[in-house]
Amino acid sequence: MKILVIEDNVELLKDIKNFLDEQGNVCEIAPNYQSAYMKAVIFPYDILVVDITLPDGTGLDIIKEVKKENIDVGIIIISAKNAVGDKVNGLEVGADDYLTKPFYLVELNARIKALYRRKVYKGSKEILFNEIRIKPGSYEVFVNNRLMNLTKKEFDIIHFFVANKNRLLTKEAIAEHLWGDHIEMVDSFNFIYTHLANLRKKITKFGGNDYIKSIYSVGYKFSE
Amino acid sequence: MNLVTKTNKYYLVFFVLLFPLMVATDFYLIRYFVSKEVDDILRHESERIIFSLKEKGAFLPSNYLFEINPLKEDSSVLNKYRDTLIYEDYANKFIPYRTYEFTTQVDSQKVRVSIHHILLEMNELVVWLFVATSLIILLLITGLFFINQVIYKWTWKPFFKNLSKVTNYDITKKNPVSLEVSNISEFQELNKIVTGLMNQVKKDFHNLKEFNENIAHEIQTPLAIIRNKMVLLLESQNLSKKELQWVKAVYQEANKLSKIGKSLTLISRIENQEFRRLNSVDIHTIVDNIVGNMEEMIQFKNLTIKVKLYPVKVKCDLILANILFTNLIKNAVQHNQEGGFIEMLLNEEKFEIINTGAISSIETAQLFNRFQRGNKVTTSLGLGLAINQKICEMYGFRLNYDLHENKHKLSLYFNTRCAF
Repeated sequence: MKILVIEDNVELLKDIKNFLDEQGNVCEIAPNYQSAYMKAVIFPYDILVVDITLPDGTGLDIIKEVKKENIDVGIIIISAKNAVGDKVNGLEVGADDYLTKPFYLVELNARIKALYRRKVYKGSKEILFNEIRIKPGSYEVFVNNRLMNLTKKEFDIIHFFVANKNRLLTKEAIAEHLWGDHIEMVDSFNFIYTHLANLRKKITKFGGNDYIKSIYSVGYKFSE
Repeated sequence: MNLVTKTNKYYLVFFVLLFPLMVATDFYLIRYFVSKEVDDILRHESERIIFSLKEKGAFLPSNYLFEINPLKEDSSVLNKYRDTLIYEDYANKFIPYRTYEFTTQVDSQKVRVSIHHILLEMNELVVWLFVATSLIILLLITGLFFINQVIYKWTWKPFFKNLSKVTNYDITKKNPVSLEVSNISEFQELNKIVTGLMNQVKKDFHNLKEFNENIAHEIQTPLAIIRNKMVLLLESQNLSKKELQWVKAVYQEANKLSKIGKSLTLISRIENQEFRRLNSVDIHTIVDNIVGNMEEMIQFKNLTIKVKLYPVKVKCDLILANILFTNLIKNAVQHNQEGGFIEMLLNEEKFEIINTGAISSIETAQLFNRFQRGNKVTTSLGLGLAINQKICEMYGFRLNYDLHENKHKLSLYFNTRCAF
């Protein structure tokens, strides 16, 4: 997948680029409006990750330009402005998704993948990880071709894990993914712990491997 | 009390105090001049009598009733005026007279002469003069009063227009207030000051807003970077146990900081009235969605949930409504005990949520303050209810906390103006 990340903070830009590169994407960067506009209009990308506040312009204008040129690209806004107006404006000019800073890189990654799937495969594409097969469109997970009976949150967890395989998913990132931005719940870590245990049990019962590893006590990693 | 009533009140007080004084002065002045006139007449008559005695040696016929009394040679009595009552047979009563007594010589015999002038018509004159002038004073004062009212309304017109303009002034709106121009220098000055103040307030408001936005932007991005680097450190897997603890602490604190920032920004945005959309929000659906989102958490905590929702629509911002109800329901789940229960009721008047849970050590009044945490649960920020309070203030909702039979009960009363 070809991704252009437009973000004025160079350090954050590097973080995002490294993360996305390691996921096997081709990730290009633009730290300001000028270079972002040039790249977005000339080169074909699958996904644009756009920061609203740029030193020489606004990300909204880039989105408008791209839409004016009829370029077919998925757009995710990343903004610190957390303002409702921004979100509404962004989605109105044609962005597909909106993330408020500070976001977890794993969350951005999952959103990019989901958006890409929606755009290119219209959501019909299955996600494969060895014996595990996920059908995001119908919220179904198969292990060794057997349909697992999962709750909604369990599905969200495994989907999130597979989208971010080999990466550390902190409990905070998982909690925010499951419940959203403004809910910090005291019990969410216990909840995640219990449901992960359930998930492991279910997968192994269906003859799958246990890919979920606890990393120190901060989070989990889904890897072979 | 408004300006007109206040002025009128003072006007009335002064009038009530001054009018008797004016009338009394008026009365005494008139009486003084009338009696002086009578005295003058009597003195004039006495001089005529004395002159005639000197020249002709006889009393003149006089209209003024007079009596003559011989005096001893050596006695000396001063001339004097006095009021007397003389009995008149025809009227069968005493009639008031003004008397002038003077001493003169008749054929080398010293005599005391008294002349009288009737006061009847004089008293009448005094009374009529008094009534006439009092009426004129009264007319003048009431006339002045009404003229004042008209002048007052006319001259203060720009002031009242400006007053309503300033009252309706909305700092979040871009268009500036154009104050009514007046040729009265005090009003001009006031306009200048008010305009200056409004500009200053506006500037401060925008600075504050900018500061908030900057905080949100400038702090969140570094926090995101800190967080990313900490995850990278954790992923590197080469950390000693001690180092791991440090990294973990930094990661968690950065998370907390970011959440505090987000919540405080949200509060100030609500205070700045930046959420001004008035959707007709279907509360029923919102509550349903939130409960759905927490369903598994509710199961996880073994909570019994009883929900009774009637379709209710309230005019407010959809996002704020979501935050408000999420906070309320989340709290009921979060502060609940294992195997407890939650009961929700939604109707036209209110949303009520009752839940079991440990009894909070915080006073009810402080519950809605920032950074108040009930059960010393350190992962909670204590900003949820403060945010709720702000949202309620904005829409005129009322949030009420009750401890009833060891159950927490939060009631949210919708404004009758908004609910329908």
